[in-house]
Amino acid sequence: MADIYGGYAPILHNIAVELQNKINGYADACMKERGEKLFEHLSWRLKTPESMEDKCRRDGLEPCPRSALKKVHDSIGIRIVCLFIDDIYRNIEEIKKLPGCHVVLEKDFISAAKPNGYRSYHMILEAESPAKDIDGNTPGLYFAELQLRTIAMDTWAALEHELKYKKDIKHPELISEELKRCAGELAACDVSLQTIRELIRQ
Amino acid sequence: MNLLLAEDETDLSDVLTAMLERSGFDVDAVENGALAVDKARHKAYDLIILDVMMPVMDGFTAVKEIRALGIFTPVLFLTAKAEVDDRISGLDAGADDYLTKPFAMGELLARVRAMTRRRESYTPRIFTLGDTSIDLDRSELKCKNSISLAVKELKLMELFMTNPGISFDSEELLDRFWSGEESDADALWMYISFLRNKLRSVGSPLIINGKEGGNYTLTSS
Repeated sequence: MADIYGGYAPILHNIAVELQNKINGYADACMKERGEKLFEHLSWRLKTPESMEDKCRRDGLEPCPRSALKKVHDSIGIRIVCLFIDDIYRNIEEIKKLPGCHVVLEKDFISAAKPNGYRSYHMILEAESPAKDIDGNTPGLYFAELQLRTIAMDTWAALEHELKYKKDIKHPELISEELKRCAGELAACDVSLQTIRELIRQ
Repeated sequence: MNLLLAEDETDLSDVLTAMLERSGFDVDAVENGALAVDKARHKAYDLIILDVMMPVMDGFTAVKEIRALGIFTPVLFLTAKAEVDDRISGLDAGADDYLTKPFAMGELLARVRAMTRRRESYTPRIFTLGDTSIDLDRSELKCKNSISLAVKELKLMELFMTNPGISFDSEELLDRFWSGEESDADALWMYISFLRNKLRSVGSPLIINGKEGGNYTLTSS
């Protein structure tokens, strides 16, 4: 049945699995060589056709396979959650070295948090696939969005996500203000933990 | 604002009460130190005015007892004696200021105003250096990003930001902010390290220069 991915969903699925394998590959190598865990966990999802359609409409794009595959960049979403801030940057270095894909865009919301307090490092990757893409390129080129964050940032984002979709909240301004304060406190903890780790390892 | 007045001379007490009330203060007047301590125990005052020579309990003893209760309300004492020793004993007992009798009513009112003026109203709560700032009320360090600071980080940062380019040795910082435990030097170094990374994480160009156990100076890169 034809959804907004126009039959490309299985290919996107394969690319996501392939990217996950590559990321696990460098992490396993690091574990073997240095006994260090580069991230705590890795997860991925394919945007459902329904939310992809919503997103296209929100962005003023025609809800069609070309928009979903070429104009929207987060049909594939991969999230890497790390223990420490420095680990995020080590992962970024590794990701830039991955074969068969290149970084199209980076947004560092850790160095410059969003006004609401959101912190994460976003990368848009263009991954190659043996399967032809919608423009007829071989290898085909497909986008994926990577989000890298610490456990604290992940917890915060989970709550903020809940807030965003919850209607009829009492005192929304107060909640947003407190959530922003928490973001600052969690960031402070992340930096302190990072510093203590540096002091221990000196 | 609530004022507590302890004065055993009834005429003077009445005049002071009337003047202070006319200036907008709520005054509780008592006639000895013991009653003043009892009042202070049960009500929060913004200023306490104590005569020194009073029956039952003198002003010095009353200040000591009030301070022993953990009450740090400013205390102004009124002394008939002009001796220096007397003023010293009063201040050492925990008073904040004194006035020698006889005094001009205008001076008393000016001192009362000065001592009840909220500290915050003339002490800045935000310090800025270049595009970096700290907010004492929010315990926050801010530049391109903002981050929370712990109490000691805030105190250290306030000192550095109000004295940029000045070199502080570890001893001085330990004297100012630590209590004299054996592990304090390690703690200072840890807090300097915390601050360095926090400055970096908010994208501030400010740098705390210095090595462990040495001198520290805040500079801009």
